[in-house]
Amino acid sequence: MMATIDVSFLTVQVLSALRQAAFLFLISSGLTLIFGVLNILNFAHGALYMLGAYFIYALTLHLTGPAGFVVALLAAPLGVALIAAVIETGLLRRIYVQEEIYQLLLTYALVLIIDDLAKIVFGPEYKSIPKPDAISGAVTIFGGTVPVYTLLVLVLAPAIALVLWYLLYRTRTGKIVRATSSDREMADALGINMSALFTLVFAFGAILAGFGGALAGPARTVFPGVGTEVIIESFVVVVIGGLGNLWGALIGSLLIGTLETVGIIVFPEFEMSLIYLLMVAILVVRPWGLFGRPLKIKALSEKNLGMEAQEISPVHFSVNPLVRVIPVLLLLAVPLVTGRFYQYLLTQIFIASLVAVAFNLLLGTTGLLSFGQAAFYGVGAYTVGLLATKAGVSTLPALLLAPVFAAAVAALIGFFCVRLSGVHFAMLTLAFGQLVFTIAFKWYGFTGGDNGIQGIPVRPLPGGVEIGSTQAMYYFALAVVGVSVEILRRIRSSPFGSTLKAIRENTQRAAYLGVNVKLYQWAAFVIAGAFTGLAGGLYALMEKSITPDIIHWTKSGEPVFMTIIGGIYTFAGPMVGAVVFTVLNSYLVAWTEKWALVLGIILLVMVLLLPGGVVGFVNEKARAAFGKRGWVRRWTFSKSAAS
Amino acid sequence: MALLELDGVNTYYGRSHILFDVSLSVAKGEVVALLGRNGAGKSTTFRSVIGLTAPRSGEVRFKGEKVNGLRAFRICRRGIGFVPEDRRCFPDLTVRENLEVATRREKQAENPWTVDRVYALFPRLQERERNLGSQLSGGEQQMLTIARTLMTNPELLLLDEPSEGLAPLVVALLAEMILQIRKEGVTVLLAEQNLHFCAKVADRGYVIDKGSVKYEGTMKDLLADDEVKEKYLAV
Repeated sequence: MMATIDVSFLTVQVLSALRQAAFLFLISSGLTLIFGVLNILNFAHGALYMLGAYFIYALTLHLTGPAGFVVALLAAPLGVALIAAVIETGLLRRIYVQEEIYQLLLTYALVLIIDDLAKIVFGPEYKSIPKPDAISGAVTIFGGTVPVYTLLVLVLAPAIALVLWYLLYRTRTGKIVRATSSDREMADALGINMSALFTLVFAFGAILAGFGGALAGPARTVFPGVGTEVIIESFVVVVIGGLGNLWGALIGSLLIGTLETVGIIVFPEFEMSLIYLLMVAILVVRPWGLFGRPLKIKALSEKNLGMEAQEISPVHFSVNPLVRVIPVLLLLAVPLVTGRFYQYLLTQIFIASLVAVAFNLLLGTTGLLSFGQAAFYGVGAYTVGLLATKAGVSTLPALLLAPVFAAAVAALIGFFCVRLSGVHFAMLTLAFGQLVFTIAFKWYGFTGGDNGIQGIPVRPLPGGVEIGSTQAMYYFALAVVGVSVEILRRIRSSPFGSTLKAIRENTQRAAYLGVNVKLYQWAAFVIAGAFTGLAGGLYALMEKSITPDIIHWTKSGEPVFMTIIGGIYTFAGPMVGAVVFTVLNSYLVAWTEKWALVLGIILLVMVLLLPGGVVGFVNEKARAAFGKRGWVRRWTFSKSAAS
Repeated sequence: MALLELDGVNTYYGRSHILFDVSLSVAKGEVVALLGRNGAGKSTTFRSVIGLTAPRSGEVRFKGEKVNGLRAFRICRRGIGFVPEDRRCFPDLTVRENLEVATRREKQAENPWTVDRVYALFPRLQERERNLGSQLSGGEQQMLTIARTLMTNPELLLLDEPSEGLAPLVVALLAEMILQIRKEGVTVLLAEQNLHFCAKVADRGYVIDKGSVKYEGTMKDLLADDEVKEKYLAV
């Protein structure tokens, strides 16, 4: 009796793991294919998956019965491919010659836009997709009940994998795709039209994502934002397997599919954390994934794609110290003339500014795109929240411990991340960030789970200074952020900062000069983490309650957004971006629900038209207009500095 | 009319000016050598012709038509084949696949190159047809890249330092093959540092140094000119 139960249980679980792996493979194979040829990490791949699911939903409303379902299952991915082709030719193509982070950011902007558009078109609620009767039942295999649909998935996904293999290894176009992914320039010189090939591969990758969505939709549900859950899992799959490698995507999908199924049974609370832990374990042994190789830089010459790179000048003028005092004086005077709303808004801006400036120590100064800053923000906030509520620690010591804990976590995460570079680095920080998120989200006993921590007490500072009121908190935050920003500014203009810039400009040459590149990158990562943690601690004091939402990866996108808006190669840029973002956030949320859509469009426009950011643009214009006049130089652009 | 003409070509990498008013011409059926030391501008001249680094000024004419400004794949489709000095076989493709992906312009050619025809020219490649590009020796890689470019049925072949890093025996073999390719009706422009190799295969030579053409003449005259050899070729 026991034996039969075990067999039936095992059968159900194995098939369920395989089904999960099948969905993952469909998505990550497209992701990895696109990366291999276009060298673009397509953040919007999850959004394309979501579109596949919505399209089959919309189609099955009109097409019923088995034949209708089959037509919908085939038509949905084609619709996705069409959209992808428009995205590639209309948007991505314009920025192939820019640095890879701009391509990543463009696809990130598309995530925001597509998610919100889906919400507008299909509504915010969960949709389930009806299956025809023929495939909605269940069968008994070895005593276990298995949905027929699962079997269908297990036939179709391997069939797709075979087709994929055939196309890549047995057709001329497939061979050209493989050739191009190892040497674009040579393929170009052999008469292969890169532009056409890129469109083809991007659309084909989108078909795989769309098919994944169309196939998974009826088995799961679909809702706006489902793509972001899926994309993170696929990132983990391709990181484990090796980015750009199809076998890696296959093995990675099987591993993650199995682990998720086992995890739900054995550690239901920490199922999601498990996959990140597996990823870490594999990366310790093989930093580039199981089948991956360190990336060779496959530079595209400008004329390769018939366009010129837009040059972002990394040189700008720094502002005279006396001029810098003016905004500080103005900010000190603000509470005298404004009410609590503006004081609260400005406090938010201060905190956001600190996060953004700390982030830009990584992006603008060191050239590392971290998509996991929310983790350190969260560690800081939870340090203050937990110490204040559970240990009764006073406010100032709790706040001072926030950067310490955040730095410790950053030291650990950074150790793994700095071994990689470029998009690998971005993906890994993202995955680590999500690991921290899942822990905070699920560990009810310690972090309060999704309820978070409420009623964080704000105790007087030493000397009896109360900071509980909005106005006192305003001054407190201004002081803490002001000092922190000044420290970060000095770090950036110190010899240490110059070394970081050298690493950004030319990592290899910096290494030839004897710089321990990884150590410097790690140090920058820890410093940025510490200040982000401090900002998180301030946030906990300001809001007096926290939830795990502040650690979600979408929060990690905020400093990225602010920095790009403001200007990546300027010190003040991220702060300007923080102002723009926070003000937009507080007014737009009240005014429209399509907040992400607006953000996405702004980011898209900035990436396409103004990659140097607002401050970078103003700086350039101002330098051209006034830079030669003596008095202006003396008072505003006091000295030229390589940013 | 010359098959290929460069007329006052200036090429830059970013802000560095590399080629200064380079002019040269290659007539149909010729083998012409472009001689110069490392960094003289030979590869940049080739990259300017094929469109990988487009010239900023001047004109590149192929069969009388201006081709500079076109993208590399279009220039290839006009009939210029480029064999880069670092060879660059596709490492993840087999020898045969390397040839298959390059097949092009069969209709424009009177007697188009096929896999079998290039195997007849380079029998060694046939023996290794199932090996990956990454598994070949230096000489085999050189043969494969030449063979691969022939598959695009070029009228003009740009060979960038084919003898570099190869054993003397292999170099001698390569010279034979270039003469054979010429007999098949392909015009060749050859960038080289190896004067003796050029003496065997080329009719005329240009000497380039610091981005400008310093000398042009028949190979015979060039071989006799000790001053030029000493000054620009370190012979």
